[in-house]
Amino acid sequence: MRFRTQLKDSRTFSKLTASLSTLGKVCWMRLEYDVIRFTIIPDQGTQVWASIPVGTIFDETTYSLESNSDAINIEVNISVLNRALRSAWGSSHTQLRLTKKDKLPLLALTVLASEWTDGNMALATDETPGETTGDRGPRERQTWITQEVPIKILHESAVEGLHEPHCPDPEVHIILPNLGQLKSISDRFTKLASTSVKGNQSGIVVPEAPSDNTSTFGANTTGSTNSSPKLELSANMHGSLRLAIATDELRISSFWSDLVNPPLDPAQMTQEQIEQLPSERNRMRQAREGDESGWAKVRIDGKDWSRVLSIGRMSPKVVACFVNDIALVLYVYLPGSWNGEESCLTYYINSFTT
Amino acid sequence: MTSLALSLDPPALIRLHDVLICLSKFSETVAIEAEPTLLRLSALNSTKTGFASFAFEKNAFFEAYSFQTSSAGHSGSIAQDRFFCQIYAKALLSIFRGRIDRNKDTAVERCDMELHEDPQQAECRLTVKMICGLGVIKSYKLTYEPAAIQHAVFDKSKATSMWAADPRFLKNLIEHFSSSAEQLDMYSDSGKAVFTSFTTKVTEGKGTEFPSPRQKLSYANAGIEILKHPVHTSVATDKLDFQEYLVEDNMHVAINLKDFKAIVGHAETVNATVTARFTRPCKPLQLEYLVEGVQAEFTIMTRGQADDDVPSSRATIPRETPAPITISARPSETQASAPNTMPPPPPRSRSIRPLNGSSAQENLTQKTSADRPLASGLSMEFDSLFVPADDDRQWDEMNEEEPQDILGWDASGTQDAFGASIRDAEPSLGANERTEEDDEMGLPPTQRLSQVRQYGLFD
Repeated sequence: MRFRTQLKDSRTFSKLTASLSTLGKVCWMRLEYDVIRFTIIPDQGTQVWASIPVGTIFDETTYSLESNSDAINIEVNISVLNRALRSAWGSSHTQLRLTKKDKLPLLALTVLASEWTDGNMALATDETPGETTGDRGPRERQTWITQEVPIKILHESAVEGLHEPHCPDPEVHIILPNLGQLKSISDRFTKLASTSVKGNQSGIVVPEAPSDNTSTFGANTTGSTNSSPKLELSANMHGSLRLAIATDELRISSFWSDLVNPPLDPAQMTQEQIEQLPSERNRMRQAREGDESGWAKVRIDGKDWSRVLSIGRMSPKVVACFVNDIALVLYVYLPGSWNGEESCLTYYINSFTT
Repeated sequence: MTSLALSLDPPALIRLHDVLICLSKFSETVAIEAEPTLLRLSALNSTKTGFASFAFEKNAFFEAYSFQTSSAGHSGSIAQDRFFCQIYAKALLSIFRGRIDRNKDTAVERCDMELHEDPQQAECRLTVKMICGLGVIKSYKLTYEPAAIQHAVFDKSKATSMWAADPRFLKNLIEHFSSSAEQLDMYSDSGKAVFTSFTTKVTEGKGTEFPSPRQKLSYANAGIEILKHPVHTSVATDKLDFQEYLVEDNMHVAINLKDFKAIVGHAETVNATVTARFTRPCKPLQLEYLVEGVQAEFTIMTRGQADDDVPSSRATIPRETPAPITISARPSETQASAPNTMPPPPPRSRSIRPLNGSSAQENLTQKTSADRPLASGLSMEFDSLFVPADDDRQWDEMNEEEPQDILGWDASGTQDAFGASIRDAEPSLGANERTEEDDEMGLPPTQRLSQVRQYGLFD
């Protein structure tokens, strides 16, 4: 089992790990010949399945992988990896490899950091007499940094049972507006709702409505088990998105229009199949009935949503798929595709029942 | 009667604040020592492995400085022209916090401090006056505690290794280390100076926060402890990046990373070249810098493989055992007044006891080592700065002539257990009570146990 590569873009890798680490600590990282997969399945909240082509973060010419099962599965604390990657910022030469030390597997990150230094003549003080070790003039300072991140190797059989969740076909799919804007508004809403709740010493009133929804992944958490504010996110197939929050005291919403409902890839399905999809039927229905029809709505946890949106730092394109009252699935495409293959992160967000 | 009065201008006030922040990272209390020509603030950490000291020169740092002491009542003591006390670091810090940078009309223009020590008066107060704009004067009275003060002694002339470096360069090095790293190992390897972080214990925490139930199921029998192991960071730099670097190759010297961070953090604020001097592992290391009338010295204990790999070094390298030096402002009074005034810090008030018998330190040691299961790698534990690693004198007959103030708690020679016990003995109030008990226990029993049974206590 061997893995060794140079990092092509340590900043992208670092941003990616930073975004992932908001969702959970333990990350299942699957190294394959063409793609690197990152999966985080936290106890509660959103799970993410990311598939990043090797060339996006690693240098393909130096990428080498040897494994009996054609893949290496490791478990790593993603925030620790992220912290270690910070040493690689601005470095021209960074290597990542799988190694062992005292029988413990490690991901070893070796960084050569060079920076121009003015020399330290000006700082020389007379309190330290003695011969100097060398030239003090301006020169390039080179520092080797090694970060050894402890990992766990997972046997192929240990990950066999892990699959991406299955979802019903979405009613609405839409490209989200600028994530920075969306995040700041969402955070504002969440904060308003939490302070108004705090002031009243009462939780958000969740009407006891029977839930007839069943989710295909995870348990649908009911609103009453979690007191943090729930955002209502809804969209239709006519380019409209609405973000709203409602408590006893306040009711606010933001509305976006003229967003894009992307067409589905005809290479994957026949035209007839596409026409049978709920989202496409919605699209046609709205063409007849106008903008105010065919909304799909989900209720999501404000704080969890904020963590999901931290992926915005990578300025991706995000397609949100709404399965009414059940789930929200985000397909996050990182900018720049590599060999026609795109980096895609899939977020599965459960809808809370009302 | 002792009196101390000093004035600080705003820039000096900022620097004093920075110094206090640095000291507060070592200990909760700051020791103040006044001498006619300088004022020293120092802090000794609770494990007695790190000692930080800042000496402010009378003329270079202060706007005004006067220290007077009348020698009446003191006879021939070295403490005559000095004054010692200690003060709660947070109390001092809170006075200076946020007082300086404001561009307000009422910004601080001068800070006056005064202290009058009169043996006749029980009150111990340090008066701080902030003279602000628009005639505003803010006065604070802080309680201080008379205290004997310990200094870690370091003989620079006997140091065999040293390096000097720009604080920003050191800061850059430190930034690569994770916040959970505990120790910093430094060594030289063929032209490279290498700094490596390590952590002796695996991060403690609830195992439940890590895997989800789903992961627990699928990853079944594999423990998750591995992921809690600390990141091992190593930074190798060219020796040329140091202003000076004279260190024996492959000699590993390890210090507490937190101490190092605190020191470099402060050195960076004053932009002073940091000089390190040391001899070998398990001997103290001193970091030092001098800036505008302030001399900063940090003596910290190092760890590593002491003598195993260099057996001959004991004979060749001059050994500088830091002798415990305890200085007391009022040698006679501290002893006499101890029970009814402030409790003197426990370790130093204890006198040497014979090695057998139920001495105070043995009681303490037993108690704490039971509380605290000691790690197996004890040989790697820091020795205290004040416990001579191999002091032959400990086997000598007890010298009755020795002043009572000398440190006695290394007499048992069990340094390892000691590192742990001293830590717990630190809270001064409780320990003071214990001291009194110990004194009683020092007396031989006068009554048989059988005689007291009738009182019901021992039935």
